[in-house]
Amino acid sequence: MRRACLLGNPDTKRTIYLQQAAARTGLPLLFLDWREFQKVRELALENQLFLKVDPPLWDSCRLEELDALTEAYNARLEELAHIAQSGGHLEFLNHPLELAAVLDKRACKARLAGAALPVTELLEGAGISARDLLERMREKRIFQVFIKPVTGSGAAGVSAFRWQPSTGKMALYTCALAEEGGGLVNTKKLRRFSGQEEIFLLLDRLLGLDCIVERWYAKAEYGGMSYDLRAVVQEDRVDFLLGRLSSGPVTNLHLNNRPLEVSALGLPGRVLEEIQELCRRCMACCPGLSSAGIDILLEKGTLRPRIIEMNGQGDLIYQDIFHDNIIYRRQAELMRRWLERP
Amino acid sequence: MSFEVLKEEEGRVVSKLYSYTYEEYEDEDKGPGTMAEDILADPELAGLKELVIGDWGGAWENSCQELIDAIVEKKSCFSHIERLFVGDMDFEQCEVSWIIQGDYSRLWSALPGLKELTVKGSTDLELGQIEHPQLESLTIICGGLPESVIRSIQEAKLPKLKKLLLYVGVDDYGFDGNAETIRELLDKAQFPELTYLGITDSEIQDELIPVVLESKFMGQISTLDLSMGTLTDQGGALLLEKLPAFPNVKKLDLHYNYLSKEMAEKLKGLSAEVDVSEINKSDMYRGEVYRNAMLTE
Repeated sequence: MRRACLLGNPDTKRTIYLQQAAARTGLPLLFLDWREFQKVRELALENQLFLKVDPPLWDSCRLEELDALTEAYNARLEELAHIAQSGGHLEFLNHPLELAAVLDKRACKARLAGAALPVTELLEGAGISARDLLERMREKRIFQVFIKPVTGSGAAGVSAFRWQPSTGKMALYTCALAEEGGGLVNTKKLRRFSGQEEIFLLLDRLLGLDCIVERWYAKAEYGGMSYDLRAVVQEDRVDFLLGRLSSGPVTNLHLNNRPLEVSALGLPGRVLEEIQELCRRCMACCPGLSSAGIDILLEKGTLRPRIIEMNGQGDLIYQDIFHDNIIYRRQAELMRRWLERP
Repeated sequence: MSFEVLKEEEGRVVSKLYSYTYEEYEDEDKGPGTMAEDILADPELAGLKELVIGDWGGAWENSCQELIDAIVEKKSCFSHIERLFVGDMDFEQCEVSWIIQGDYSRLWSALPGLKELTVKGSTDLELGQIEHPQLESLTIICGGLPESVIRSIQEAKLPKLKKLLLYVGVDDYGFDGNAETIRELLDKAQFPELTYLGITDSEIQDELIPVVLESKFMGQISTLDLSMGTLTDQGGALLLEKLPAFPNVKKLDLHYNYLSKEMAEKLKGLSAEVDVSEINKSDMYRGEVYRNAMLTE
């Protein structure tokens, strides 16, 4: 029997709104809790299964646990791929190996850059110290950067750092706080630090995790706030495009930033077309993904788009679920087409 | 050079922002020394009323002095400009306290037709001896207003000045005075036409409320702007008590504040149009209360 199934977490918005979309579309959707992960194999042996994999819930805010959590998650994703390869009748909305591949920001960026897509410029930051970072910034003459844990999602650990070599002034914007006795915790508040000693402490701990360092581009502004864009692209079509306005450098929406419909930004048609085209090319780089969230910045002044990152599970947009729920409806339709396929 | 049309009137561009991108600065040797030339090459310059200068190229390591000097040298080409904004950059481009400004002493006589001047950033900012027969509006946006700049303003000869908007800022970023510095400014300054007084963005906003309320300008202004600072119920209560004595004040801007909801509601009951939006909550850390002015860094 053919069955469409969501592997996710009960009572979360992702689950509730996909279920709602499924009901509207007339799609019978089986829900499987991540805690019952072991049932996937059995289900895939007994049925033909089409699976959407939502991210598991991570309840730790300790950044140094990110790697271990990611590793455990990747192991599960590999197991799903293995089930599909070894006799299970299993197809995916987004292939688990592709989900794992784009979760690695460094690898994802390399793949997109390899296809000549405009991505944010990378300064190699793995395993370096704060002092090394300053040296690299000086060499490249890039005096403002973002530092991001290579596998983090959301704003976990994301930090913006700038430095003025002629005066030694520096500023670090981060949600991470140093814990006594080592380590970093992620908070939901962006803070600014300007003292070298506290900045070096935070930077050394951050860079001690596996991080990417990339150039901080001055982003386009609207009404005195800067913004970037989140596109949700599904089957080559941009199903949602949202502006994320922010009065600080980190635009993630759970940091009290403001979402805005992209039409309100008054972007020229050529920019919107370029964004559509870039999104299609990004998806072409990841053939295992039918749905992805793509974060794009527009450079201030020129409005030249650049891909910040891609996320195979970047489909939860409050501005959509609370209105037309287009994104999940399209997923439900896609699953239904699969069910009805001769 | 990156341009942005800010305003058109009857199909004609009247306001434009000029700015260099990082690439133009880093790879094409553009900077404050080339900017005036690039602006002069723009055929639309002649029709502009407003000239807005964004990043003149590495504004965190280069002063805009060369640009100001070039405007002075070529003053006849800029004499039609009525509104000038130097340093229109947001936090994405540069921390406001890192913007390296310049000396405007020679600009006053070079642009006698100027009506509005806005300057962003106060590092190395000098206004010199201000004397200008036409200037109607002066705005200094910064994280900390240096005493030398305050002194220039208090001694300024600006007979037509209608609007004075100052971001006082914090001592960490250049404000080296206190409430008495602002009192002296308001005592000594002579702006007979002033209708808009803005003493804003201060971490001692409460202390500045009595200073402003006791100033001679209270009897003549129609807009009082005390926004963007650390205003609490202490300053709010004083405004509530004293403002009714000044029916000439039609607008009171208190947006971005640390008022209680109750006090904000009471202030809204004043006969003036009152903006109490953006109420912030104080931060507590290790038993200490922290409040921040809106723009400091």
